[in-house]
Amino acid sequence: MANITIEGLCKGWDFPVIDDLSVEIEEGEFFVVVGPSGIGKTTLLRLIAGLESADRGRILLGEREVTHLPPYRRRVAMTFESYALYPHLTVFENISSPLRARKKDRATIERRVKAVAQLLRIDHLLDRKPGQVSGGQKQRTALGRTLVADPEVFLLDEPISHLDAKIRQDLRMQFHTLEELRRVATLYVTHDYAEALSLGDRIGVMGNGGKLVQIGSARELFERPKALFVAEHLGQPTINAIPSILQEENGSLFACAENAALRLALSPQQSQRLNGGAKRRIVLGLRPQHVRPADELRGRDSEIDAQIDIFEALGSNGIIITKAGGVTITGLTHPERHFEPGQDLRLAIDTEALHIFDAETGLSLLEEPRWQG
Amino acid sequence: MTPERKEAVVSEIVRGTPSTYPAWFSARKRSKPLIVSRRVPILLVGLPVLVLLAIVIYPTIWMFYHSLRDTNINHLFSGEHASVGLENYRTVLSSERFHDSLWHLALYLFFGACLQVLLGTLLALIIYEYLKSNLARALILILLVLPMMLPPSIVGTLWRFLLTPSNGAINQALLDLGIISSHIEWFNAGVSLWSIIIADVWNWTALPLLIVYSGRVSLPPAVYEAARVDGAGQWKVLRRITLPMLKEVIAIAFILRFTDAFKFVDLVYVMTSGGPAQSSELPTYIAFQRGIREFAIGEAAAYAIIIFAISAIIVTLFLKYMKRVMKAQGLA
Repeated sequence: MANITIEGLCKGWDFPVIDDLSVEIEEGEFFVVVGPSGIGKTTLLRLIAGLESADRGRILLGEREVTHLPPYRRRVAMTFESYALYPHLTVFENISSPLRARKKDRATIERRVKAVAQLLRIDHLLDRKPGQVSGGQKQRTALGRTLVADPEVFLLDEPISHLDAKIRQDLRMQFHTLEELRRVATLYVTHDYAEALSLGDRIGVMGNGGKLVQIGSARELFERPKALFVAEHLGQPTINAIPSILQEENGSLFACAENAALRLALSPQQSQRLNGGAKRRIVLGLRPQHVRPADELRGRDSEIDAQIDIFEALGSNGIIITKAGGVTITGLTHPERHFEPGQDLRLAIDTEALHIFDAETGLSLLEEPRWQG
Repeated sequence: MTPERKEAVVSEIVRGTPSTYPAWFSARKRSKPLIVSRRVPILLVGLPVLVLLAIVIYPTIWMFYHSLRDTNINHLFSGEHASVGLENYRTVLSSERFHDSLWHLALYLFFGACLQVLLGTLLALIIYEYLKSNLARALILILLVLPMMLPPSIVGTLWRFLLTPSNGAINQALLDLGIISSHIEWFNAGVSLWSIIIADVWNWTALPLLIVYSGRVSLPPAVYEAARVDGAGQWKVLRRITLPMLKEVIAIAFILRFTDAFKFVDLVYVMTSGGPAQSSELPTYIAFQRGIREFAIGEAAAYAIIIFAISAIIVTLFLKYMKRVMKAQGLA
């Protein structure tokens, strides 16, 4: 058992992929790295597993430096996005392969594999070959092979991304309840923000240049994103990002959408945080759940006139895409309501929940800029 | 009831069109069928069948028929040959010449065909494992494949030349290196078959090499990474992952080399003509010799049928094995 310490890790091929990444993952922590495709998430896992060698920086498991050790001496276990099962071996032999590689005796292997298979509910498939089981069962076999190794660190690479929604939900629940994963440091990589928010004790959002743009709990990341990139990556529907200019009038600040008629008053606290700065170019971040038809939201809202563009009634909520003063704003409503395209309505906006980002750097102007956790 | 629906029901009652179809749907032909006449399929299948009949099936039947008759040059065309029952088979199966040639065939299969597959597999894996540059790989593959592109007559003549006992290049090289102290008589009885096998290995090792190499290239790299994380050593990876996953590919290489072995005549003909004293004859070569050279058609036909039976059995075993492997992997 150990925590993972990564210090100034760098890796590149024709271009830098991971650039000066530092993070510490506690023993027993479930750490999720989320980010768009091709950003370097898998590379990070492969560096920790030892499948790639770091160009610079150090990787420590507990007190032990493993940066230059071969994979099998690092005591890590990894699941691969493609599962990487041995096609010619049975499910049993697949799961037992790390134990056989470490020359454990027959009885131990039998006992441990049976236990893991039972846990993952694949104990009835042990005699089958990977070609004869379903995708979800393949995934659980791959997970079983990882669990049985009893490593100091679990590395899980998009383990459930390629499964259909129903099985994905089942397996997500299983990740919550697997004691094995909760005992040691687990690094879980995904591009699906819902998976990340659901599973992670802490979440690191990986952005361009292979940096962790922000690290924090699900709530922190969602409510107080430190950068527009984080806000845009988490949440569905995506946050409204409105390029605007700050204007001062009678001592209070307004955000005016660029080249459009939309104008929103900022709260006194926000104005104080921004500390003047009129004429400054910003990006206004407005989560759809803070935009509702005026008759649904009460209190500290400012109201604006808008026109419905598109209305989508989903199962648990309705999405309204509106035009307000020449700006497209997405909001939420109750699914049982109905709107026609072109219909006029008053939108209520919870300005307390506004996010304000610098137009140049994309960093939040309301949160302390604190990079790399 | 909507007017359309009413129409449909009426149509069902009046015209007998089932109302399960919507009213707009008429049973007219929706698309032109690809085959416009019943004669087309017969023609398409029939022509190849005719060709096959003419060049494969008829000669085979002809051969089988004559394997039961005393056909020879004297009455091949007059048709005065008489039935001799299984006499031809008895002659072949009891002849020492045939027994010897079977032994030669076994040696050739084991030290020729098998060695080629083993050597090819070994080379393929070494090239894949230790040559990482694509250019180097391409160059060495081209070099190794070159012998395969030469016609057998050239290969045979070349190796006759190289293996010439008195001043051939091979003997000279072995002498210079101090491996041997006197000339090896490459074309003496008992040695000449080995000369043929050496030339054939040189000629054909590249085929299994290419097959296994392409098989190795297409194995999923993630599996190897999983093995590295599991902590499997190089030897274990080779024995427990690479070779089992290449099983059916290697089986294909074996099948190709074995089927070739049964029609292997060219190098024998060019290098030794089966000699000296029939010491390097293979069954097929005898069939060729008896039939085409000496016009003992009946006996040659019996040879051919027996060879056909042996090769069919061996190849069937290989195919069975391959099917089992593929079934086990869920591929078939």
